[in-house]
Amino acid sequence: MSPRTDPILDCPLDQVPDSREFVEAAMRWHFSPETGSPFWLERARTLGFDPRADVHSFEDLRRFPNVTNELREVRVEDLIPRGYGPDAAVAGVFESGGTTGPPKRVVVLRDWLDRLMHRLEQDLEAKGYPENGNWLSLGPTGPHIYGELIRRQAERRGGIRLTVDMDPRWVKRSIAEGRAEEAERYAEHLIDQSAHLLRTQDVRVMVTTPPLLTRLARRDALVGLINEKVSVIGWSGAHMDPDTHYLLRTEVFPGVRLYGMYGSTMILGGLPERVVPPEQDVVVFDAFSPYVAFQVVDPRTGESVRIGDRGQVVMHHVSKSFLLPNNLERDLATRVAAPPGQTGDSVADVGPLPTFEDEPVIEGVY
Amino acid sequence: MDEPIQLDALGAGGPYRSRSRLPIRELGGRPVAELSLVPRLYVQRTMAALHRARTMPADERVSALTRAGRLFETGVVGGLGAEEYRHIVSRVSGMPITVVRSAASGIAHRAGEAYRTTRYARPEGAVDDWRDPLTRSGQAVWTRRGDVFAVHAAGNHPGVHTLWLEALAMGYRVAVRPSRREPFTPHRLITALRESGFGEDQVALLPTDYSVADDVIRDADLAMVYGGEEVVSKYGDDVRVLPQGPGRSKILLTEDDWERHLGTIVESVSAFGGTACVNTTAVFVRGDPAPVAAAVAERLAAIPSLPPEDDAAVLPVQPVTDARAVEKYLLDHVDGATPLLGGDGIVHDLGDGSGVLRPAVFLVDRPDAPQTGIELSFPCVWFAPWSPADGVGPLRNTLVLTAMTRDDDLVDRLVDDPSIRNVYLGDAPTFWMPQWVPHDAYLGEFLMRTKGVIRA
Repeated sequence: MSPRTDPILDCPLDQVPDSREFVEAAMRWHFSPETGSPFWLERARTLGFDPRADVHSFEDLRRFPNVTNELREVRVEDLIPRGYGPDAAVAGVFESGGTTGPPKRVVVLRDWLDRLMHRLEQDLEAKGYPENGNWLSLGPTGPHIYGELIRRQAERRGGIRLTVDMDPRWVKRSIAEGRAEEAERYAEHLIDQSAHLLRTQDVRVMVTTPPLLTRLARRDALVGLINEKVSVIGWSGAHMDPDTHYLLRTEVFPGVRLYGMYGSTMILGGLPERVVPPEQDVVVFDAFSPYVAFQVVDPRTGESVRIGDRGQVVMHHVSKSFLLPNNLERDLATRVAAPPGQTGDSVADVGPLPTFEDEPVIEGVY
Repeated sequence: MDEPIQLDALGAGGPYRSRSRLPIRELGGRPVAELSLVPRLYVQRTMAALHRARTMPADERVSALTRAGRLFETGVVGGLGAEEYRHIVSRVSGMPITVVRSAASGIAHRAGEAYRTTRYARPEGAVDDWRDPLTRSGQAVWTRRGDVFAVHAAGNHPGVHTLWLEALAMGYRVAVRPSRREPFTPHRLITALRESGFGEDQVALLPTDYSVADDVIRDADLAMVYGGEEVVSKYGDDVRVLPQGPGRSKILLTEDDWERHLGTIVESVSAFGGTACVNTTAVFVRGDPAPVAAAVAERLAAIPSLPPEDDAAVLPVQPVTDARAVEKYLLDHVDGATPLLGGDGIVHDLGDGSGVLRPAVFLVDRPDAPQTGIELSFPCVWFAPWSPADGVGPLRNTLVLTAMTRDDDLVDRLVDDPSIRNVYLGDAPTFWMPQWVPHDAYLGEFLMRTKGVIRA
């Protein structure tokens, strides 16, 4: 540990530091010339405020501009805080899906990943994920943090991870170029590979995206295999609408537990669904205080919506490893009261901006 | 009413009230109903159930259709009485109440006649059953091209929902994706069909978000899609899809006796509030079209502006912002045409958030003027000059062409032209549609085929 590190930034994994003290220490770390990353030290010149003097709380993080677009071009070395010294333990470089333009890139350092995995492991334990069972990951690997988190979760539960790799960028590109049939063929190719693994291997935990889960449900034989072999289905990487969630757990996979994870490359991870009684019929995600916080805001004013109302999700990531505050995601969610001690909001029913119909067409009688 | 009417999806497991619901508003903007929107997973499970289902025997289908028609027309369905249903359709769609009433009766009638109507499409050489004695020595048997038929319905007129009843009569399982403009009619009709004997895996209502709409078609064997030019270009090459595109119905006058046809012309433009594909949108006149156009404009100008639920209403009503958008579209496309009616605007603001779409009449100076192809959902008609030298060209791409002419050579060419789907001669309005006359060919031509069977 560097002597210049405030111990609160390296606090033991099972402790929850005070939010205000933590944010202040993180600002000192990321914006001191000896410890901050070249990216943030350079960026600080044009902020118009001094984070070390002016930012004390999670509310203050809203003062930062959204810098995620700048992460497309920056050298990965420039994202590592200097305080780690020349031998920073890099766990991986991960990239966004690349929906709009070139992908955004983040560096995940070992200490953050250990912290996140500790939290996720506690959740797997609490939810009773099978021990020593095989996991099937049907989703992005490669540059995407998705596959990395599944790999490490399986490892922590003593499981072997089997994978079917998905390249989401190829799917998006095919659709953008009007080649929906190619995207369709590719998706079926993924399902075929999963089918083979489900038939031949003892899969206890399956993790995939909601669209692929819906596609799997088209094949009765696979639905049968999953109901027979799998005890938990984890979903993440895309939205799941509440009706699909209801139908999956009550009709398609009635004997399988279904747990979601909400995350983003831009928070360097994902957070598991809160456990609620099934009759509540709602999927809630809590934050990971003080490192990851959500705020649900009115897209027009930027102000927080009331609890129970829908708004757009703002995400903050603050750790010793990385700082990415005030990132307005393209997700809508319902604001839910946070559990005691959590900073910011919890979110429920995360979904995309609604589109009910194509643009109204005037000409024609239909 | 305070509580909105719930228009549930009607899937293979019965009615489904989804968490995602679309408010349906009446013309003034007040929400009156909620339409349950189902996700892709629900669509694919329902379509799979329709594929798994067995077709009901023909005799049961026919009696259930007849019962359903009566229930639809007169009964209480889903808690909604018949007049209440007609009133709400009028208040949501802006369709005059008299048009809604006759459309509702029409649906009931066509349900009872659906099986008989399919008979017109069956080739004379074909029988219905392989057990028919004729197959002993070899015969064509009329068979379905598939089992599951999907419909992307329109909301312009309740009568849109008469055609797919024939598919049920032919033994298809049918899934309807309603229009958000008017989901009440298919919801009531499918509920009535289910109460009258059709199983939940025989006929389904799948309201979906736009992004899932194509799934309904993909998971069907055959489909029918209502829409404009964009639908024709999207599905035109797909042999599984029957597009119901623009109507662009027209009238041709080649004689000087137009005055005695004036009523037919005015009716063709304005019946059903001008909202149907069989409403006339262009009139071609040999010689000077101006006097005919002026006479038609005078008649149309006399139609009063009334709320749609008024028994005397003739014209369609829309939320005033939508009506203004239609008006702007029209005025942006006048492009040098001479206005005889509606040139200064067509919206009569009723002051309750809704506006009447008043008739418009324009003159263009040549038969191939592009405005003659503009089809809007209110009485709007373009008059153009025509001479025999112009030929069939300007009359092409037409659902119904009424030709008031004595030129049999011209009639030959009109009947031969594949882009003119119906030719009516003499004093017949373009909206004339008895069930034995095909609308855009018989649906049976698309849904059925002959199959050789011999019992040697």
